[in-house]
Amino acid sequence: MFRKLSFSLFLFICVQTLYAQDEPLLKKWSYNTAYLMPKGKWESGVFQPFRYGINAKMELRANAIIFPLMPNAGLKIALGAKNDFLIASEHSLSVPTPFLNVVSSKGIGGLISPEYDFKFILAVSNSILVSRKISNSMLASANAGYVFALRAEKPDPQSTIDLPLFYPRMAHYYEGSTIKLGAAIKGSLGSKWFYEENFQTFIVTRPENNFFFENSGTLMWALGKSLRIRGGYILAYGEYPYVSPKWQLWPTLDLVFGSK
Amino acid sequence: MRSIFFKKPFIILILPLLLLFFNSCEPLATSFDDVEDAVMYTKGQKSAVLPPDSTIKVMTWNIRFGIGRQPWFGDACGDNTVFKKEEVIPGLDAVVARINEVRPDILFLQECDVKSNRTAYIDELQYILDKTYFNYAAYVSEWKSEFIPSDGLGRMDMGLVILSPWPLTDAKRINLATRGDQSGIVNYFYLHSCILSARVKIPGFKEVPLLNIHASAFATDDTKKKHYEEFKAEMDKLDIAGEYFVAGGDLNELPPGSDSTDFCYEDMCPGESFHQPGDDPAHKPGSDYTPETEWLQPIYSAYNCAFPLSFYQQNQEACFTHTTRPEHSWDRTLDYLFTNHRWRNGSAKTHQEFFNESDHAPVSADFVLIKE
Repeated sequence: MFRKLSFSLFLFICVQTLYAQDEPLLKKWSYNTAYLMPKGKWESGVFQPFRYGINAKMELRANAIIFPLMPNAGLKIALGAKNDFLIASEHSLSVPTPFLNVVSSKGIGGLISPEYDFKFILAVSNSILVSRKISNSMLASANAGYVFALRAEKPDPQSTIDLPLFYPRMAHYYEGSTIKLGAAIKGSLGSKWFYEENFQTFIVTRPENNFFFENSGTLMWALGKSLRIRGGYILAYGEYPYVSPKWQLWPTLDLVFGSK
Repeated sequence: MRSIFFKKPFIILILPLLLLFFNSCEPLATSFDDVEDAVMYTKGQKSAVLPPDSTIKVMTWNIRFGIGRQPWFGDACGDNTVFKKEEVIPGLDAVVARINEVRPDILFLQECDVKSNRTAYIDELQYILDKTYFNYAAYVSEWKSEFIPSDGLGRMDMGLVILSPWPLTDAKRINLATRGDQSGIVNYFYLHSCILSARVKIPGFKEVPLLNIHASAFATDDTKKKHYEEFKAEMDKLDIAGEYFVAGGDLNELPPGSDSTDFCYEDMCPGESFHQPGDDPAHKPGSDYTPETEWLQPIYSAYNCAFPLSFYQQNQEACFTHTTRPEHSWDRTLDYLFTNHRWRNGSAKTHQEFFNESDHAPVSADFVLIKE
């Protein structure tokens, strides 16, 4: 199954390279790369964070939709280029406590049992991003990051949200810190269609439930100068508290809008 | 220019890939076919089995997922949704101790959790199998969801079990009618009542078909009635085929002729109000059996209950198997054993002394076997 999947992904990338045309890839989709938003430009998705180019060296980011429940902010800083590699660093802070307390509730929407009360948690994320153009229409990126949390009190280990995508991203709230390693290839298929294949691992520094892997594939359609629709899949592997390692597949959909 | 999407290589390569991905999507909640195979459990190191003389003891018990009398939000007036391992294990140990004390040959369980969030992801069936003399078990889920986004329930897998020292065969999950009084989204994540059927071959005796049911507890429409009709239909099939069987479980229904049929006040939680003008609902869901008192009559008329109806009607308190109130004694009968053959006279027992192990008392009786 995995070999079939890898082969299909390889074909996917090859075919799309054939159809690739140069130009607007970075203009339309610099998220997840070492490239920054141009000065004064912004973009946001429903799920993708809001990004704003402060200047040529710095980009501000925050996830707007969850901001009221999880105050968060980050900076991407351009560190320059070495040979053909563009390097940037990303730094972000978030306070998940209000979110955790809101979803720890009775009734529909109660993702966590209401008997849990979460004290102050500050999550800190630092990572390095490296990108390199493979061709005019294709870009490869890699990232390495370290995520940890400062906690007023260690939350109960049974108060986790045991779902793929959630669990690895919240693991460091509970125990250990997380080392993130990832790589992605982005490309364009003409002026309106774009794709990304992304691989991400999460290694949590604790004795169990500590390894997660995600592969995502996304197609993006630029509807106009400022509106894009993205959709695809995330294939997630993880060691969750309830079972032996498990694979799961999730569909993804997002709407990205911003400056022209 | 035509979009890249309409070019052949894209269609040939990408669409099948996307189909493959979306076909392998696992739904959040499990839906069930009308009939499905059960999950079989086997003990590695088998316990020695003595051949029965002429009867086997059969017991049915709703074990309330091993939490004893602790307050759970769903069926008691508690706030707790999840329990820690150190809270569940003593409850399971108490259940195991009682099973080993009664030593039924065939045991029907309801509300057994398998790696559910609320019971600290313990495989309760494996735990019970490992700590008792049973060698084989069949399991079917009645409530299975990867994640229930309500009340912090999270992952849920609760079901029905048949345990036996002898091999079980042909174990199936038979789906029962879906509740008609719930919205689609609630029903999607809610439990789906079922029957677990299996067969046991005891050396020297005719094979015994077994039916274990957990009918809806809280349906306020005619769903429960449908469940009893479906249960009886399964018994009828076996009866018509000339087989003898044992059928039982938690029917969540009172026997006909019960003196008390409305338990809204008994089950009322602080802050709730029933039976008063303007109360909506007027009755607590699952607590008012008044319109349902004859729903079990067809089963009683066709088959032999371990406690015959005439005995029940004269000795109601002795047959009570349930109460929601840990500080009171048993107040209603919901659990049953039926057969189209015979129970050994005087062998039926409601184990009312097992009050702290669950909110249901087990019922046991000696079933008379037919020699080959």
